[in-house]
Amino acid sequence: MMKNIRNFCIIAHIDHGKSTLADRLMEKTGSVALRDMQSQLLDSMELEREKGITIKLTPTRMNYTFNGEQYVLNLIDTPGHVDFTYEVSRSLAACEGAILIVDASQGVEAQTLANAYLALDAGLEILPVINKIDLPSARPDEVKKEIEDVVGLPADDAPCISAKDGTNIDLVLQKIVTDFPPPKGDGNAPLKCLVFDSFYDNFKGAVCLVRVFDGQIKTGDSILFMQTGREYDVTEVGIFNPKMQPTQNLSAGEVGYVCASIKSVSDVHVGDTITLKNRQTDKPLAGYKKVQPVVYCGVFCVDGSKYNELKEALLKLKLNDASLQFAPEVSQALGFGFRCGFLGLLHLEIITERLEREFNLDIITTAPSVSYKVLKTNGEELEISNPASLPSPVEIDKIFEPIVKASIFTPPSYVGAVMQLCQDKRGEYKDMVYLDANRVRLQYNLPLGEIIYDFFDKLKSLTKGYASFDYELGDFVPSKLVKLDILLNGEKCDALSLIVHEDSAYMRGRAITEKLKKIIPRQLFEVPIQAAIGNKIIARETISALRKDVLAKCYGGDITRKRKLLEKQKEGKKRMRQIGSVEIPSEAFLSILKLDDEK
Amino acid sequence: MIGIYVHIPFCESKCIYCAFASFVRNANCQAKYFEFLNKEIKNCDFFDRQVSSIYFGGGTPSYVKPEKLAEILKTIKTHFNVLENAEITIECNPCSVSTQKLSSYFDAGFNRISFGVQSLDESMLKFLGRRHTKAQALDAIGYAKNTGFENISADLLLGLPAGDIISDAQTLIAAGVKHISAYMLQIEGGTPLKNMVESGKVKLPSDDETVDNYQKLADFLQKNRFLQYEISNFALKGFKSKHNFAYWTGQAYLGFGLGAHSFDGKYKRFANADNFEDYFAGKQNVEKLSPSQRDEEMIMLGLRCESGFDTKKLHFDISQNANFQKYINGEVLQKIGSTIKLNPKFYNISNSVIIDLLP
Repeated sequence: MMKNIRNFCIIAHIDHGKSTLADRLMEKTGSVALRDMQSQLLDSMELEREKGITIKLTPTRMNYTFNGEQYVLNLIDTPGHVDFTYEVSRSLAACEGAILIVDASQGVEAQTLANAYLALDAGLEILPVINKIDLPSARPDEVKKEIEDVVGLPADDAPCISAKDGTNIDLVLQKIVTDFPPPKGDGNAPLKCLVFDSFYDNFKGAVCLVRVFDGQIKTGDSILFMQTGREYDVTEVGIFNPKMQPTQNLSAGEVGYVCASIKSVSDVHVGDTITLKNRQTDKPLAGYKKVQPVVYCGVFCVDGSKYNELKEALLKLKLNDASLQFAPEVSQALGFGFRCGFLGLLHLEIITERLEREFNLDIITTAPSVSYKVLKTNGEELEISNPASLPSPVEIDKIFEPIVKASIFTPPSYVGAVMQLCQDKRGEYKDMVYLDANRVRLQYNLPLGEIIYDFFDKLKSLTKGYASFDYELGDFVPSKLVKLDILLNGEKCDALSLIVHEDSAYMRGRAITEKLKKIIPRQLFEVPIQAAIGNKIIARETISALRKDVLAKCYGGDITRKRKLLEKQKEGKKRMRQIGSVEIPSEAFLSILKLDDEK
Repeated sequence: MIGIYVHIPFCESKCIYCAFASFVRNANCQAKYFEFLNKEIKNCDFFDRQVSSIYFGGGTPSYVKPEKLAEILKTIKTHFNVLENAEITIECNPCSVSTQKLSSYFDAGFNRISFGVQSLDESMLKFLGRRHTKAQALDAIGYAKNTGFENISADLLLGLPAGDIISDAQTLIAAGVKHISAYMLQIEGGTPLKNMVESGKVKLPSDDETVDNYQKLADFLQKNRFLQYEISNFALKGFKSKHNFAYWTGQAYLGFGLGAHSFDGKYKRFANADNFEDYFAGKQNVEKLSPSQRDEEMIMLGLRCESGFDTKKLHFDISQNANFQKYINGEVLQKIGSTIKLNPKFYNISNSVIIDLLP
């Protein structure tokens, strides 16, 4: 039986056509009725479809007949974004093979390489596939050579396909059967089952997506999660067809789901090993990591009275997203809210958008921050993810910041600009390789704090979108960081504090005060805006007092129009936050990040 | 006691900043309009018939034949009890009046004239699309005085790209104007001016410059014994506009004609449709004000006037408003008994203060 199973995933750089190929494979194998076909079936969340990215992993089972034999192909989808590298690695661990899609006109990109390496590390057989050969700009032969030179994989036999119009999809299916090895495992050994994802179902509770390595699992089994030590009784097992379909059991080599009345996905740790309580495997599967947030920011409601709604919304999102973390936070400026931790900026963006879209909340987020390690002069060690809670300079001995190892792929003509950008972001040059005439790989160590907001946008605009970027988290290194405070009318505004490098503090201070001067409307009285490090003021701007608002004619007795105008203005004021005697618009809190936009 | 407003929606040409209900129309349409207007007045059954002020506005009332206006005024006098000392105003465009016209107005019973002067700078008059010159404006005022009009008002615009509003005011006072209204030029949607500003063809002065001019004008008029009885209105003793004051103090008023507004003095506001078709069909927009909307109006209108508003008339306790105390302490508001007034020094930012005080 096992010899007729193939577990595989599709990996690719963003937009190289992963979801389209998945759709096409399902369509060819008849796994989904044509009338149910909706483009990019696997990306089920609305937001995912819009952003063209896959956040949530949804495996699916396909039946395929080749040379008269029935095969079960389990496609395990993977998120394509660097924020979710750990999830990707766990999905890969559930597979024996990976299809590496490369765009026939764009060639190898940063994520192509990053994902290929992840798959090689996981010991997977890799099948390169050249996609989008229908494009006039397709150059399949060159791209094949690139795959061989850059990635180091033989690509001579790589299928050249168009997932869009269906060209050569059969060839891909055949190669899945012939090139990928069947799973190995012992159906009679004690249960060893990998959790590679989970999601929340209103009726079933947390549903674990699993790959069985040894033994088998069935309804009624008492199971143990080896990392968390939690025990449950299995209420249902099954496969994805692509909808959930209960089965008798799941045995070695198979991919499916396990339900066990688990209350929340937070109770299920991705990478954990499930075994039987009464017949345990001797050793859990390797590679388990507890997922830690990388980026933090404060999330508040524009309307402070909606705190409880925000809390409910976050709890609901957390049901389905174990990596989202949050804790209550009180800001003098923004009132009650939450300090949230995310896997990365994309994750942050997705969560805040979902809060606004699905829960109808008007929210303010503060500047994203990374987590710093602080060694105090009294020997105490702290981890700080909120600039406002950084101790005063005299109490700090050393601050450590996280570093990432970044790879940037760019056409040679932009190398200068990219190097300048990395330099501006305090990057440490590591390596530069000319991969071919059109492509250079630059490697830099960059502080995570410098890349979490506008690095990617800048890289894209500097290189007209040609550069690609990927990184892995590195160590914490000591750095000369200071807290930059912003004072409005002499009062510190905690939500505007930032941790910045000493060398750029003056420049940032000046830029922020200038920017705030533009954003904060004039008030009835003069408002000084100051930037300070500790007690030292390093920049100052002044918003002069408001001089004019409209002296309009109440014409012909049309009082209503005037009243409505004022009501509208009053409504607009609700979006303002009162900091002491100063009113500031909610946009101000994020705007301080985008300082160079207007220059 | 009530005020009556009559709207004359016809102009010889449209000014570049105008977003009011006014049309450059032919005589046929006028005939139908006046017929309907007469009917509207005759059919009005508002309980209060005591009329203390009448105001013919536009559009350009002076653009239509004086007999038409006289006829309407006569209808009003027949169907209502117009008080002996009622103020009866007609808005005039300085270029469309003649001694003859002015005499007919006077004979018909009009006793106050409001000239849309806007500016005495020739280049600005041209820019705005006004059809008169400085000389015509001053001549018109002279004719009016000679005809017997004592109560003459002039409108001026603040915030124009050029011109000197102080010297304009001085010239107008010397010519015998007893009342000056000064409004800021507004960029209304759909006007040629808006396009000109957006495309950069016209550069308007900054808000600060406009406010400076506004305050200079207020000072200048004060020195010339013109009392600032409302944020944009200045008058010599005895020449405040009774009609406008009615709007601001919550008195009932009836509006007749296209797009005209009415108020029952309590909680109901009416507005006639502002297009001919709906107006002729008798369509009206009725708005019933909630107590808190009435409060908003009283605060909004009161703070624009020297008379302020009476806290006892409000339906809520304004002293509980944190901003209210802040403004009293900062002398932005003045409290005299139960009356609250805006310190004239802060007239330029009245909206911001009003918004902070709304219930």
